[in-house]
Amino acid sequence: MQKFNRRHAIGLIGGATAATLAAPAIAQNRKITVGALRFTSHAGSFVAYENGYFTEAGLDLELKFFQAAQPMAVAIASGDVDFGVTAISGGLISLAQKGAVKVIGGALSEEDGIDGQKILASDAAFQAGLTAPSGLDGKTFGMSTAGSSFHYMGSKIAAAEGVSVTFKPLQKVGAIIGALKSGQIDAWSIVPHIAKPLAGSGAVHIIGNVSDYIPNYQVTTVFTSEKNAAGEADLVKSFLGAYSKGVTDYNSAMIDKAGGEDGINAMVDLLHKYVYADQPLEKAAPGIINGTMRLNEGAALNMTSVEDQLSWFQAEGLVDANITMDILVNPSFVETL
Amino acid sequence: MPETHAQPVPFRGGGFRPVAIRGAGLAVFASLLILTEWGTRSGWISALTLPRPSDVVKTFGELWSTGMLFKHLVPSLTRLVVGASIGVTLGVSTGILIGLFSYVRSGLVPLVAALFPIPKIALLPLFVIWFGIDEGSKYALIAFGTFTPTVVATYGAVDNVDRTLIRMGQSFGMGWFAIVRKIVLPGAMPGILSGLRISLAIGIILLVAAEMLGAEYGIGAYILEAGALYDLERLFAGVVILSALGILVSTVIGAIEKRLLNWRT
Amino acid sequence: MDLRVEGLSHAYDGMAVLDGIDLDIATGRILCLVGPSGCGKSTLLRIIGGLERPVSGQVMQLGTPPEGCLNPLTYVFQDFALLPWRSVAGNVRLGLEAHGLPEARMAEIVSDVLARTNLSDFAEALPKQLSGGMKQRVAIARALAVNPAVMLLDEPLSALDAQTRELLMEDLVSLWTRAPFTAVYVTHNLAEAVRLGHSIAVLSRRPGRIREIVHIDKPLADRIHMDAELESTQEHLWNLMREEARAADAELLNA
Repeated sequence: MQKFNRRHAIGLIGGATAATLAAPAIAQNRKITVGALRFTSHAGSFVAYENGYFTEAGLDLELKFFQAAQPMAVAIASGDVDFGVTAISGGLISLAQKGAVKVIGGALSEEDGIDGQKILASDAAFQAGLTAPSGLDGKTFGMSTAGSSFHYMGSKIAAAEGVSVTFKPLQKVGAIIGALKSGQIDAWSIVPHIAKPLAGSGAVHIIGNVSDYIPNYQVTTVFTSEKNAAGEADLVKSFLGAYSKGVTDYNSAMIDKAGGEDGINAMVDLLHKYVYADQPLEKAAPGIINGTMRLNEGAALNMTSVEDQLSWFQAEGLVDANITMDILVNPSFVETL
Repeated sequence: MPETHAQPVPFRGGGFRPVAIRGAGLAVFASLLILTEWGTRSGWISALTLPRPSDVVKTFGELWSTGMLFKHLVPSLTRLVVGASIGVTLGVSTGILIGLFSYVRSGLVPLVAALFPIPKIALLPLFVIWFGIDEGSKYALIAFGTFTPTVVATYGAVDNVDRTLIRMGQSFGMGWFAIVRKIVLPGAMPGILSGLRISLAIGIILLVAAEMLGAEYGIGAYILEAGALYDLERLFAGVVILSALGILVSTVIGAIEKRLLNWRT
Repeated sequence: MDLRVEGLSHAYDGMAVLDGIDLDIATGRILCLVGPSGCGKSTLLRIIGGLERPVSGQVMQLGTPPEGCLNPLTYVFQDFALLPWRSVAGNVRLGLEAHGLPEARMAEIVSDVLARTNLSDFAEALPKQLSGGMKQRVAIARALAVNPAVMLLDEPLSALDAQTRELLMEDLVSLWTRAPFTAVYVTHNLAEAVRLGHSIAVLSRRPGRIREIVHIDKPLADRIHMDAELESTQEHLWNLMREEARAADAELLNA
């Protein structure tokens, strides 16, 4: 049965149904679109693109930027974007259930010994005694939306500490930062390249590490449309291959510091095109360096962490309880941990 | 000389006068629903494109039976009632002052014109700082959103009050407040009420925006959560509730108009 | 209470509309003001009632209003000026409400004037249900309710058709006959003037000046439709006005 999605709808309106049926994969100069956020966690795509790894793999790649992870997942479902990197959210799982998207690899993960995501407290709450996550009982915790990764993190932290928190949906990261700075909410958790400058300003305080509560947390994953995952294995493999090369370059320069100071600077230079592009390099560099977190080599995927996230979403009633790992993940492309 | 040729004058009137046909709207509605139901069942509309109407009904049933419907509806209605009451009261008062005093008019009309096109949603973060993340900012957003259209409708309506009626009131020695209460306000009521239809519709739209920040319960929060989870059934159930709210508000204003404006010809 | 208009002149934006008007308005008499359109007769009436401020000159009240007079100078407007959201009784009450009368007294006055103007059956009707003639009866009842010292009628019958006008003139005459009231009656209709006026002041075209004041001694109750004597007075008035009216008609508006 032919599924009816937006692309086909546009095709139908244009009266050219047959022409929209996918053409067979061309090995060379296959045009693909990759969704990205302007975060260092998307460095894999940026580095691979800048170093020409996608072109080498025969992919004519276009980066498409989003303000939040949620619209990116929807854009993949609608066929406007082929690959994306984002956190596992309730929306992503729902789209997977509807047969629209599939997780195919891992991107950002928490790792012992590397500075990961931070737990933040507002100055007002901090002064009132919220100096450690154990003091979160009865506090408000910021999140973008219900079913976001912030919701997952906050919930896991609260469960581990045996406290209860109230979640405040604020839609956008900017709004959460504003609410935290002005003391409208008490606590939040976020990647280090946002957490550290905030803490540096004195308006908020870092009170803990997410990795203490969710070890080996698979923060973001690589995903694509179900159609690509099922029918375009070669395309997915070429993409992941090129992407992984970018990841290796990034990890080696920023975490293993293989190129020393120069290597870091060259990498920061490269990333500055995409991250904090609106700020001068000298101002952006600390943010980019602070944001360094390990990207999964070979886009390896931590299945245990993904499974934990899925079951949490199900336990919270945010997604259908019948969704299995097979529906969410296609583990055939990468190494699983 | 051709013989006199007689023929009836051709009819040229008619048309341009649509009449209401009973049930036509309902039929369009029902056939769209049936089409969607059939399309989603047979599969040519994917689960990604539209939810199945029967599933939306089921979701609505669950909302009802679990009592969540009122858990969401009560805070939303409270926000709408409180916010709109503040906005409409201030709006009508300001509109009357603009309608009656030259200095107020000259001073405030440009301000109102400047405030009107501001997307109130854009000011939400600011309102959060000013009025707090809890109910205050939500009331403020809805109040602000309903204020400007009410002001514009009210002073327009006051301008349209028959000046001879005001002269008449003065000629009978009525005081300023008596003229405003007994002549200006009732005379402006038709314009105020039709402005109210627009203001309250804007209020409902802003309800969703107001619940973007820090609302755990509420129809808007429910819709936003459903959107974030890509849960189309819940999304549509929420939208249907908002539509019903819109129809309810419109009906209530219609009833008020019928009661208060029965003097209109 | 008499009124005296002394040396009254008025102008709008520098354009003179009234020039040196002197008039005496005597108690218990009806003074008609006639003149071509735009001669300022309605303006004069608004000045007499204190709704407009003259550029120079003044209107004096001679003596005090009689006992029980609530609103000494009371208007009847051409377009009735009824509040459409109030019933007939409610409209008549309006003028009384400003004077802090007890509820029972107001109800008494309302039912009394409605009876005098034959409107008792329509007390609860809304203006939209009434014909033009009935609406003007309500406006007259409203004016009578406040027991005015002087009634100021601004073309009260101009919005009505000829038959209704005739009926209302008879009503006004019988109201005056039963209880004589003082009135200034503005009209451009000479037939109305000769039927209702004890004296008729003819105004020139803009700027309005008094051309002549014609007195008619025949009692109002005896004046009938198509009366020969009245016809000749009307002819005389028309001769006074003809040239003025023609010139006024040829003037450009807002020139």
